[in-house]
Formats: sequence, structure tokens, C-alpha cells
Amino acid sequence: MAGLELRRTGGLSADSLFRRITGTGLLVLGVALVGLIVAFVGYSNPLWAIQSPIDFLTSATWSTGTIDENGQVVDALYGALGALFGTAATSLIAVLFAAPIGILAAIYLVEFAPPRVSAPLTFIVELIAAIPSVVFGLWAAGDLSNRLRDTIEWWIASSFGRFIPFLSEDPESPAADSVFRAGFLLAIMILPMVVAVSREFIRSVPISLREGYIGMGATKWEVIRDVILPTARIGLIGGVLLALGRAIGETVAVTMVIGNAEGVPSSLFQPGQTVASKIASNIAEASGEIAIGSMAALGLSLFLLTTMISLAVRVLIRRFAFTGGRA
Amino acid sequence: MSMQTGTIAKLLTQPTAGERARQRVNWTMRILVGVAAFLAILPLIALIAFVLLQSAPFLVPSFFFNNPLDTSPGILNAIVGSLQLTGLTVLISGPIGIAGGVYLSEFASPRVVAIGETAIDVMLGVPSIVAGVFAYLILVPVLGFSGWAAVAALSILTLPIMMRSTQEVLRLVPQAIREASLALGVPVWKTALFVSVRTALPGILTGVILAFSRALGETAPLLMTARGTNAENWLDFSTTMNAMPIVIYQYSAAADDLLIGQAWATALVLMAIALTINVLVRGRTVNSRTA
Repeated sequence: MAGLELRRTGGLSADSLFRRITGTGLLVLGVALVGLIVAFVGYSNPLWAIQSPIDFLTSATWSTGTIDENGQVVDALYGALGALFGTAATSLIAVLFAAPIGILAAIYLVEFAPPRVSAPLTFIVELIAAIPSVVFGLWAAGDLSNRLRDTIEWWIASSFGRFIPFLSEDPESPAADSVFRAGFLLAIMILPMVVAVSREFIRSVPISLREGYIGMGATKWEVIRDVILPTARIGLIGGVLLALGRAIGETVAVTMVIGNAEGVPSSLFQPGQTVASKIASNIAEASGEIAIGSMAALGLSLFLLTTMISLAVRVLIRRFAFTGGRA
Repeated sequence: MSMQTGTIAKLLTQPTAGERARQRVNWTMRILVGVAAFLAILPLIALIAFVLLQSAPFLVPSFFFNNPLDTSPGILNAIVGSLQLTGLTVLISGPIGIAGGVYLSEFASPRVVAIGETAIDVMLGVPSIVAGVFAYLILVPVLGFSGWAAVAALSILTLPIMMRSTQEVLRLVPQAIREASLALGVPVWKTALFVSVRTALPGILTGVILAFSRALGETAPLLMTARGTNAENWLDFSTTMNAMPIVIYQYSAAADDLLIGQAWATALVLMAIALTINVLVRGRTVNSRTA
């Protein structure tokens, strides 16, 4: 980062030419980012001419309308509440499972596992991240989904379903697809990310802090609970947020198991849809600038959500660096 | 006196009830984190085992050398298409990403670095479907469903990956090496290229290969750009192309058991390529780090 700005010659010397060529690379990224924003705002604009963004966010009705005798589209209403609910539900379910398991696994890898176990285990967890999402989707649709339906989902529904309407399910005929199963699949998919980031931050806690507490008679777990987790806390939150962003944007795997049903489902064990899966399953039929605008609006909401998360993580991690957790 | 020492020794060696409770918690948590680590790798084992079982009957040689409409159908056109799409993506976004990374590491002012890194963070977070919709909105109306549109969508995803990895490895190059080169009178651009980039080259290439592996598995952007075809397409990026993720996605929804079997077999091929790349690349990095 500390630049090579010992001397900056004017004109088009080889140095400044090289500087410009490499600078163009960064410029292309900037142009792509601005292009993304402009395109999504521009293409979603026709939609805002017929309805407000509030309707888009709060209505659960997604109707392309009918064509009246004058050839005009009437009664079109694009309400994304169902999709937004599905995105929120699946990604929160994913984090609910992946965050504790991922952080605990990272603790094991850094604090407990001998190097002989830790290195290959870390490697295997990293490999999970290399599996394409469509393969996860195929596996879930063919195997995992049914297993979840008959185990965890059945257990939750039969224990809590009677009191909590969102967790109810007819035990005789469970739905073929469900929001919960999509969320659980996402948990598996984002787990490597939680483990990798948590591992980095747990490792960066200075050894002197651990030694100090052990010297006072603390057990290993007390060191983790009272020293490591508080010190690495911000980094761990950042890692979970990053994984949340990944879960929000995941498309094909979710599309393959969530059932792609309209509206807000009555229970987590019913089929639903996410913003991403809605785009994937609807975009081919979208014709006309308003219908295309509705797709762009969905894309824009995904982009805004993930951008906010990326920026939040950036701020968090910078704060972590300043508070001195990291060498 | 001696009795006192004995009592103290006893007090020190015999754990109190509180200490025993603390040790119990310690051991419980020890087991719990171990179980969590096991749970973390369980899906990989289950997934690989299941994909292997399901796809085994379909992995015959003709599967790799025939096209979907042949009498014994295969996925040759999808393998060819995937390699062309991801290959061109890396050829286009690789040099741009590396250049940007070099600029950020070697030339940019702190302000530009802050802005550039933020832009990379945002672009890294862009979901693949958003890149796909972008290409669908902007390029498909002009170029039609085509390899070019797919390459553009994939490039949006790989560009920030390579820029970030290039910048990160260049940061590890000691400043003293650069200074030594400059002190010898080597121009700044030669120093950047033949000292900094040369030193970091293995790391930069690792980033390129990982970006290739990432692009190889992308599905959503391809469905709305390259779209898939039964024909074999060599190097004609102006029309539809097939790719392995497209085959998996489309066949998985089919009612035909043969097609579903082929989806499994394609998944195995795709996964094998992705895992092999990652094992080779990461294995190498781990070795060079410990050496």
C-alpha cells in the first residue's frame, strides 16, 4: 500500500503509462459497480410510476394484472412481501444454525484440536465452500430435504407446532417443500464461511491474554468464554454478517427446495419463495417494462441488502482492527 | 509446622466442589465444540457419498463424449461450454482484476485505497443472481441469449475476487525489496512488475484459479444469459451455450429418471473438478507456507 511515489515524472513516461494501465483495472470495477446501480434503478423506474415502493415492500399480492378492452394492463400489483419474508426467514434460519455450530467448530479447530487434526479438518471445511450451489440444491432436493422433513422438522412441529402457529405442520401430510428446509440447506452452505472467518479472528487473539488468564487458574473453557470470545466478538459478528449476506443472495439451491409458492406462508414448514428464487423463476416470463421493472426492483432490493451488509462488515472489521484484536 | 504444610498441600491438590464443577463445565464444552466440528464436516461426507451412489450407474465413457440428443446421451457440449465460458471469463477479468490489484497495492493514495477497497467489498457481496439480472437487462436485449452475456455476468463476479487476492498477496511483499530495486535505479513500473508482482505471482495465480473454480459452479447467471442448448458450440459466444450447472438445474426438475440420473452424474463431474482444483491449489499453498 505504501506507494512507490519516490518520484513522479510528468508526461507519458513508461512509469505513468503503467500507472494508468493498472489504474484502468480499478476503474473498470468502479464502472461496473456504478453501472449495476444505474441499471437497477433505471429499469425499476417504470414500476414506481404505477405503484409506490411502499406497496412493493408491504403487499403480499404479486399480480401481473389483466388486459382491458383498450389493451391496457390494469390491476397490476407487485408486492414483494412474500419474497422478502422468505428471504428473511431462510437466511435467519441459516444463521441460527450456522453461527453457533460454526463458531464452536472454529473454537475447536483453534483451541482444542492438535495440529494433526486441525489442519485436515480446516481443509475439509474449506472444501465445502468449493462445492457449487447447484450441487447442494440437487443433493437437498434428492435426499437432505426428506431427511429434514422426517427428523428436525417433524420434531419441531410436533413439540412446538401446537403453541406457535408459524411452526405448525400436518404430521400426516407434510408439504413437499418448505421454507425451513431451504433455510437449513443455507446453513450448511454458509457454515464454511462462518468457520473460516471465526477461525481467523479467534487465532488473532494475543497469546499473552490467554496465558494471563490461565496463570490465574482459569480452565480452558473459561479462557474461551471470558477472554477469547469477548476479544474476538466484533470479528465473529462480522463473519456471521458476511455469511448472512451470502445466504440472502443464494439462488439456485434455494429455488430447488423452497417450493416457489406465492405469498407469505402460514408456517415455516410450508413452501414459500425468496427474493432471489422469485427472480430466478419469474424472469423468463416477465415481458413489458413494468414486469421487467418488477424484476429489477427485486434485484435492486437484493443489491441494497447485500451492500448494506458488506458496508456494515467493513465498518465492524475496521473497528476491530482499531481496538487492537489483530496484530 | 509440618502438619500445616500437609494441610496446605492437601488444600492445593484436592479440588473443591466449585473447582470440580468448573472442570465439569470445561469437559462438557470440550466435547460440545468437538461435536460442532464433526457436524461441520458431516454434510460434505453425506453429500459426496450420496452423489457418488446416485451417479455411479450413469458414469459410462459415452457420457463424456456424447451430446444430449445422441442415442446414448452425454454432456460433452456442457463440459465444453463450461470450460469456454469460465475460461474466457478468467481471460477477460483476470488481467483487469490483477491490474486493479497492482494499482491499489503499488500506486494508489490512501484515499483511493479506501474507496477502492470499499468498492471491492461491495462487489464481492453482490449475489450472483444480481449479476445475472444485470446482464439479462443490459446485454440480452442487444446480444440475445449468448455466451458473451454469460461471460459478462461471470466477470462481474470474478473481477473483485481477483482484485482482492492480488492486492492481498502484494501487501505481503516486503517493502524493503521494492526499495532495494528502486535504489538500484530500476524504474517504478519495472519494480512493480518484475519485483513486486514477480514475488507475489504464485499467490496471484492462486486467486485466478480460485476465481475460475467459483465461476465454474455459478448457475443462476448462466440460466438467464447462456441459457443452455443441446448443440455443441465451439467458440461461438454470440449464441446460446450449454454448461454443466445448467444441465444439473434443468435435468433435476425433469420427470424422466434417465435425465435425473444424468443430473447426478453431471453434479459429480462438476464437483470433482471444483474439489480437485481446490485440493491442488490449497494443498500447494499450505505446503509452501509450512516449508
